[in-house]
Amino acid sequence: MAWHHRILNIFRSNRISRDIQREIDFHITERVDDLVARGMPEAEARRAARRQFGNEGTQREETRRMDIADWVQSVAGDARYALRALLHSPVFAVVTIASLGLGIGANTTIFTLLDAVVLRPLAVTRPSELAYVSMDKVTVEGPSSGIDGDVYFTNPLWEQVRDRQTAFRAVTAFGETSFDLAEGGEAHRVAGSYVSGEFFRTFGVTAAAGRLFTKSDDIRGCAGSVVLSYRFWEREYGAAPDIVGKVIRLNGHPFEIAGIVGAAFRGPDVGRESDVYLPLCAMEVLHGRESELDARSSWWLRVIGRYAPGVDVRQAGARMAAIARASYEETIPQNWRVNDQREYVGRTLTVAPADRGFSDVRQRYRTALLSLMAGVVLILMIACANVANLLLSRAEARHRELAIRLAIGAGRGRLLRQLVTESMVLAVAGAVVGLFVARVGTTALVALITTPGPSGAVSLDLSLNWRLLSFTALAATVTVVLCGLLPAWRATRVSAQSAMKAQARGVVEGHTRFRLGKSLVVAQVALSLVLVVSAGFLVGTLNNLSRINPGFSAEGVLLATVGLRRAGVPAGAVGATHQRILERVRAMPGVASASSSDLTPVGSMSWNDEIVVDGFTPKTFMDAVTWFNEVSDGYFATMRTRLLGGRDFSSADVPGGEKVAIVNDAWGRKFFGNSSPLGRQFRVRAGNTLSAPYTIVGLVENSKYRTLREGSEPIAYVPSSQSAEPAPRRVVEVRAGGNPSALIPALRDILHEVNPGITVDFRTLSGQLATSLQRERMLAVLSGIFGSVALALAVLGLYGVTSYSVARRRGELGVRIALGAVRARVVRLVLGEVGIVVAIGLVIGTVGARVASTQVAPFLYGTEPADPFVYVGAALLLAAVAFMAGLIPAWRAARVDPIEALREQ
Amino acid sequence: MARAKNDILQGTLALLVLRTLDVAGPMHGYAITSHIQVVSADLLRVEEGSLYPALHRMEQDGWLRSTWGSTEKNREARFYTITAKGRRQLAQEEESWSRLTEGVSRVLRYA
Repeated sequence: MAWHHRILNIFRSNRISRDIQREIDFHITERVDDLVARGMPEAEARRAARRQFGNEGTQREETRRMDIADWVQSVAGDARYALRALLHSPVFAVVTIASLGLGIGANTTIFTLLDAVVLRPLAVTRPSELAYVSMDKVTVEGPSSGIDGDVYFTNPLWEQVRDRQTAFRAVTAFGETSFDLAEGGEAHRVAGSYVSGEFFRTFGVTAAAGRLFTKSDDIRGCAGSVVLSYRFWEREYGAAPDIVGKVIRLNGHPFEIAGIVGAAFRGPDVGRESDVYLPLCAMEVLHGRESELDARSSWWLRVIGRYAPGVDVRQAGARMAAIARASYEETIPQNWRVNDQREYVGRTLTVAPADRGFSDVRQRYRTALLSLMAGVVLILMIACANVANLLLSRAEARHRELAIRLAIGAGRGRLLRQLVTESMVLAVAGAVVGLFVARVGTTALVALITTPGPSGAVSLDLSLNWRLLSFTALAATVTVVLCGLLPAWRATRVSAQSAMKAQARGVVEGHTRFRLGKSLVVAQVALSLVLVVSAGFLVGTLNNLSRINPGFSAEGVLLATVGLRRAGVPAGAVGATHQRILERVRAMPGVASASSSDLTPVGSMSWNDEIVVDGFTPKTFMDAVTWFNEVSDGYFATMRTRLLGGRDFSSADVPGGEKVAIVNDAWGRKFFGNSSPLGRQFRVRAGNTLSAPYTIVGLVENSKYRTLREGSEPIAYVPSSQSAEPAPRRVVEVRAGGNPSALIPALRDILHEVNPGITVDFRTLSGQLATSLQRERMLAVLSGIFGSVALALAVLGLYGVTSYSVARRRGELGVRIALGAVRARVVRLVLGEVGIVVAIGLVIGTVGARVASTQVAPFLYGTEPADPFVYVGAALLLAAVAFMAGLIPAWRAARVDPIEALREQ
Repeated sequence: MARAKNDILQGTLALLVLRTLDVAGPMHGYAITSHIQVVSADLLRVEEGSLYPALHRMEQDGWLRSTWGSTEKNREARFYTITAKGRRQLAQEEESWSRLTEGVSRVLRYA
């Protein structure tokens, strides 16, 4: 078959038509000549020749069809026709394309993120061969966050596992950290990882420049070298190729740059990418004797391996379990209690697939993204209902045109194709708009979940991929099928006779199309109620959380994290240096008060210890564990945490003196019930020993420790002036008279004056609180947007259907008014119709919203999935907006001029 | 529309056209019509209009080639020539035609 000729012929279709015409003309001329030669008069001969030839038009078309793949051409023609038709009704086109664009765009946006965070495997060689190793049965709480089981290892345990395992061809351990690139002063932090020698080999990644680590790079006592991420190389060095072999300073220590990792690799943590990789052994270079390489209860490494040939997850698990006991026995934490040590040795090792790596971002946002996905699917449905309704009304308006075309012999299939082509054009345009919306949307969304600082940057590969493309295409196709076929089907079902008759007289014709339009609006109202209710819950939650009294006042407080590690301060002078910094800060103009502490509330770090109180018997191990913080005098005044009794710390609390502590109300109530804790004592258990007793000298109000969501947790504060071994890193809290950030330059100068080697990070306490509410904010913002979009779409649908109904009933309304119906009654008539539609929608929607509310339940705070106020509020909002949407057409109905309306008939 | 008795049996048009072009060389559409009519002693008459779709289809199938040329009366006309592929097709159609007529006449004779 020369089909390709036929397709090519499309492009010379004019010439082909001309040639066929010439051929036929020649034929007829020859025939005329023959007939004339036989003596027929010429005029008669012409008629006879044409008669003999048959239907010339049909034959011409038939011939043409042999030459040209005409279906292609007629589709192109249909599309052209559709475009022209759409240009004729721009409002219809814009509303439809915008509806579809929003629906498809929102779906693509959320799906892009869902794909990048939850669905996609790691961008490494054969990710299905990867597995992570975890510990089973860990009952000591604290060290492991238990994300996917207990995945954190100590370095001694990792070394045992590395040397004993046979399950993996290559296995690696890695722990994340951050490095300071600055020489001193304000820190310039980048995300980094300590990785074992086989890290890159395990993932099967190659270098973009230079070389990557091998086993020989990770040997105890190494000098260390650095591998940079591709994006860091681009960002900091403009991808300069001669960077390999140069020196980079991390926390003030020089390292040679060994190589750059390939562009596709973003590390095993989806959402978090390290800029700088350092071998594990280099930790000793940076931290000296504080290095965690021999610490037996520092849980910070995760382990991933690539299966040995022929090994699957089950066999790997068996092989790891076989080496578990020996590995644990060699690494028993010596300072643990005997019971805990016994439990430790009894643990085992398990293996689970790691094709998608680890992800904090995934952990935090997985459920949220899935709920949002459900939300955007609802939006797409509402948008489709809207478009279907618009297409229905449009088809209705073209009723007569279609009837005429059917009557003069157009095939029903041909008309259907024409109408479907029109929706196809709309869907394609909508998809294009949608892709654009998605581009903007994903960037905005990533910004919404990114937190300041090196650990908060979200690094995701959000480039267009086939999954995404096919998803958009699917969304568009579903839209077309839903929106295009049904109205097209209905539109062509008209009988020509009835259509023309209906037009002739103002009969109130069959309610079928109208009923369908109304049920679409009912569905829209119901679906939007679901989204508005969800938005109500999530916005309410954010609102509740922001209004919580956290037990301190975050407004106006600047936090400066001061590091003395690189300042060359001798160990004995650390406390005094911190004290001197604090005094200088307090003397600064614009500073209302200042203090320093080990930790800040609702930050990323926490500290807990087991305490012993006479007369208190803990029910479980955790029952005796409370939160701690080490603070300077003036901390509570600076934070505006009220002192309920006793005194604040003072300079009289010195290392040699009686150990003192301040506790919060929850602490006092927990351990001493209703009697005052002032003057009472407690001890802290460290392994098998007990500390000297702390005497409680002060009582403060409850405050949030780790999150705003938590209840009133017991917290004990100890004075930094009594610290036996002051930490080089402390946070200085500064309450400013005005804008806290304005103090940063002066503060930086003061720190430099005290010691130029001091490093510092700045942030505000309110910023820290806002960061902790990131997920809640994202959900609130997005659900708010979704709710509004849904509302807008539903209102558009309602307005459209009501306007249409009023326009159709002009005649009837004219008669009513002519017969003396009061205009207010006409308005009531129209609004009553709207009311019924909305009421049905709201009833269905309430049921749907109640079901959907269980989805958002885990995110809620200060409200519950059955909270009637949210439902009533959302329903009232929808009803009010619907009322407005109905009012305009109702008003138009009331102003129908009876004479004109009747004259039109 | 009632068909005239001497209309060409459906499906045999290609056979007649191929045979005509094979025997008489390149020809335009009108000449093909006349040739079939004359050679069949007016027994067969091509329905003129339907000739052209058939010619174009055969060309697309690769049985014919066409070129524009002039007639003796110096008129522009499209001349059709049979191709090698067309000759193979002709052989096949002749074969199946004779089998059909043989079958039909046997039935007429003995049934």
